Amino acid sequence: MAIITISRGSFSLGKAVAEGVAERLGYDIISRDLLLKASGRFHVPQETLEKAIHDAPGVFERYSYTKLVYLAYLRATLTEMVADGNIVYHGLAGHILLSLLPHVLKVRITAKLESRVARKMQDGFSEQMARARIIEDDAHRKKWTRKIYHADPNDSSLYDMVISIDKLSKEDAVDFICQCASRKAFEWTHDRIRQVKDLSFACGLKASLIASFFDVKITCEYGNLLVYAGEKVAHSAKFKRTINTFQKENSGIHNLEVHTGVPVPANAV
Amino acid sequence: MDQLTPDMILVMVMISFAIFLFIVEWIRVDVVAILMMVALPLLHLVTPKEAFMGLSSNAVVSIIAVIIIGAGLDKTGMINKLVKPVLAIAGTSSSRIIIAISCTVAVISSFMQNIGAAALFLPAIQRISKIQKIPLSRLLMPVGFSAILGGTVTLVGCSPLILLNDLLVPFDLKPFGLFDVTPIGLALVASGILCFVFLGKFILPQGDVSENKDDEHAHALESSCEQGTQHPCFYELTTSDDFMDYRDIVRVGDIHLRYLVSILALTEPPDIKTMSPAPHIEIRSGVDLVVWGDKKNVERMAAKEGMLLKKTVEHYDKEFDPAHSGIVEAVVSPRSSFVGRPLGKNNFNDRFRVTPLSIHHQDDVYRAKLDDIILRTGDVISFYGTWKRLEALNQEGGLLFSLPQDLEDTRPEKALWAGGWLVLALTMVMGFHVHLSVALMTGALGMIITKVLSIDEAYQSVDWRTIFLLAGLIPLGIATQKTGTAAWIAAFILHIIGDVQPIVLLIVIGILSTLFTLVISNVGATVLLVPLVVNIALVTHTDPRLAALVVGLATSNSFILPTHQVNALYMGPGRYRTIDFIKAGSVISALFLVVMITMIYLFY
Repeated sequence: MAIITISRGSFSLGKAVAEGVAERLGYDIISRDLLLKASGRFHVPQETLEKAIHDAPGVFERYSYTKLVYLAYLRATLTEMVADGNIVYHGLAGHILLSLLPHVLKVRITAKLESRVARKMQDGFSEQMARARIIEDDAHRKKWTRKIYHADPNDSSLYDMVISIDKLSKEDAVDFICQCASRKAFEWTHDRIRQVKDLSFACGLKASLIASFFDVKITCEYGNLLVYAGEKVAHSAKFKRTINTFQKENSGIHNLEVHTGVPVPANAV
Repeated sequence: MDQLTPDMILVMVMISFAIFLFIVEWIRVDVVAILMMVALPLLHLVTPKEAFMGLSSNAVVSIIAVIIIGAGLDKTGMINKLVKPVLAIAGTSSSRIIIAISCTVAVISSFMQNIGAAALFLPAIQRISKIQKIPLSRLLMPVGFSAILGGTVTLVGCSPLILLNDLLVPFDLKPFGLFDVTPIGLALVASGILCFVFLGKFILPQGDVSENKDDEHAHALESSCEQGTQHPCFYELTTSDDFMDYRDIVRVGDIHLRYLVSILALTEPPDIKTMSPAPHIEIRSGVDLVVWGDKKNVERMAAKEGMLLKKTVEHYDKEFDPAHSGIVEAVVSPRSSFVGRPLGKNNFNDRFRVTPLSIHHQDDVYRAKLDDIILRTGDVISFYGTWKRLEALNQEGGLLFSLPQDLEDTRPEKALWAGGWLVLALTMVMGFHVHLSVALMTGALGMIITKVLSIDEAYQSVDWRTIFLLAGLIPLGIATQKTGTAAWIAAFILHIIGDVQPIVLLIVIGILSTLFTLVISNVGATVLLVPLVVNIALVTHTDPRLAALVVGLATSNSFILPTHQVNALYMGPGRYRTIDFIKAGSVISALFLVVMITMIYLFY
């Protein structure tokens, strides 16, 4: 009952591998459904959300924070969707959106540029055009990850497994991933279920607050939500109303406290 | 006007340097004073004997004696006994609460250190605020200001007034008596309180009253713990016989992390009862434990961890008897070494075997991740522990709290002795005109001889920071006087302002002292200004004693900025901003000056 995220460059056969893994293990597969669900929950058009997760922020967007707001919406939706396990996610930024869960199997599928170009050309693109599009797409994703998470998507240390699909076939990749998913490190235990639920609460509250209170950080352990906020924010009526409503709407939250003037821990969202 | 000499210039440099260090606070004010004590003789501005004269001065001896007498009175539980009846009189209206508590605080403050009087009522005022739904910000500032104003009621009420007579000695001026300032002090206290009663609506921040959780907290600490309520309470549980068989090791710290429930007692094999166990202690099968927490959290813990929740505390009934242990609310005092450090770094559990249960910061109550919370002045920490351990924590200093009077190491049977020695000291001063320091030291010695407090307790009660601040700045006053710097500055000021009426001069001195005390310590301001104003007064044919008295009183006129220790203590809990102090403090400061000058003009 693992959670598997598959990160891939375009035309690296990542989608096919994800589908193969989901079919073999009988897991649900999530990709664009995330956008659909987040769009419905937070009333933001799918295209806007997709742009937020795909395109790197522009020079001015750095200051508008809108991309981070949409990202918080996507993260809240994804953590909720994976709460029951048995999931393969092959949409964008899965390894980052779920990075705080230690038992998620994070896979990166890569392929040589030539083979990716060849696959793109099958869609009717000229070689030059296909190459340019793939390079541009890679650059966007690299820039996005760097700007928002200060990480390089090609850094293998972000993943548990990196599979180059050139010499190995799609089936080989599916075999490796399925074997790996059955390891103890990715087992679905009570404690891990609790961790996913905690992250889901933290991300959910963050999504409720972020549009009005951008700097608020949240942790959740054992259903005890801890909100780190500035003095002014912590005592604003709107903030109090939002967190009280969230607590009422989510029965699994046992305690909720707001701390001010305290260093924010690294695992806060 | 005399020519400026190199020594005068050097003294002015040292004064400027001291003021600069007082403002920037790179080093503590008492260390600045010691620096002056050492630097002035090295620069040959005072003789070595003069440099250390402050340590044997009457002011220092008086303040030591006042502190010991205050500690003696405290030891008998007399002061604590005041709290409950005052709260009963206070009732529910905010005006009555302000009047009753402020008057009491002012009276206590006239014989004790202001900060002690202010801290005494802080937890009680916080509870009243919650229960009566009156914003804390409406109550704390009046009480805090009254504590400062109360210091002007007697000559031993605050350090500047204690110091005043010593600063008059070089001028051969008649010293002030203990109650010479009382009419002015009482008028200042009355006007301050009335100002808040009538104008409080306009000058105090309106604030809001926090809800539910805090009330629960207040209730839990106020009343005895009744099981079956939703408030945090003590509960005893037993772990199942197979507790360790089918789960990872569960430690004391894990329980708090998971359920926000604090384990206060735990049985360790073979059958050792451990009070306030450390977070790393493992919980075994079939053992009893006592916890403190919300009922719903305790029940959740019992269900999840397979523990049996007992109806009452049975196995640990002796240990949890209120005669043996309990919960106290400790206020983090200004200048406390705990300020600015996370609670966890202070190792209260390891060092004192007491368990921090919650932190009350402003209107919020924190129970989760207490170790990470950085302590601020005025935060209230609730601790559980045996009274003996809590007493050890109390003696460490930095936290202001009182243990239950009948359980604390108090000596109520000595109350008569303590009161008697205080009365005797006052009679010696008033009736027989014995010197203040001698009379007060007689009272302090009497308390030690009659075992109101031991000599070690007397030594421990003395705040050496205050002593060295006073003693260290006295040579600066001597240097200012001896080198003619004070006379030169006085002449320079007179040259600028020209001839003025005595009343105008006193007003100017009052304003100058107020401004000085806002940026440097009140003792520093007094030491620097008294020689100066006496010189000015002598030239302008104004009574120099009154000029000095204005300085001694106006250096307590510290309301506009939260620089006074009492204001610093109340700023956090009252959630005041500097602008709140500026707003209310400006009115009170102006009123202070008007009342003080009027009283001096009419009665002196």
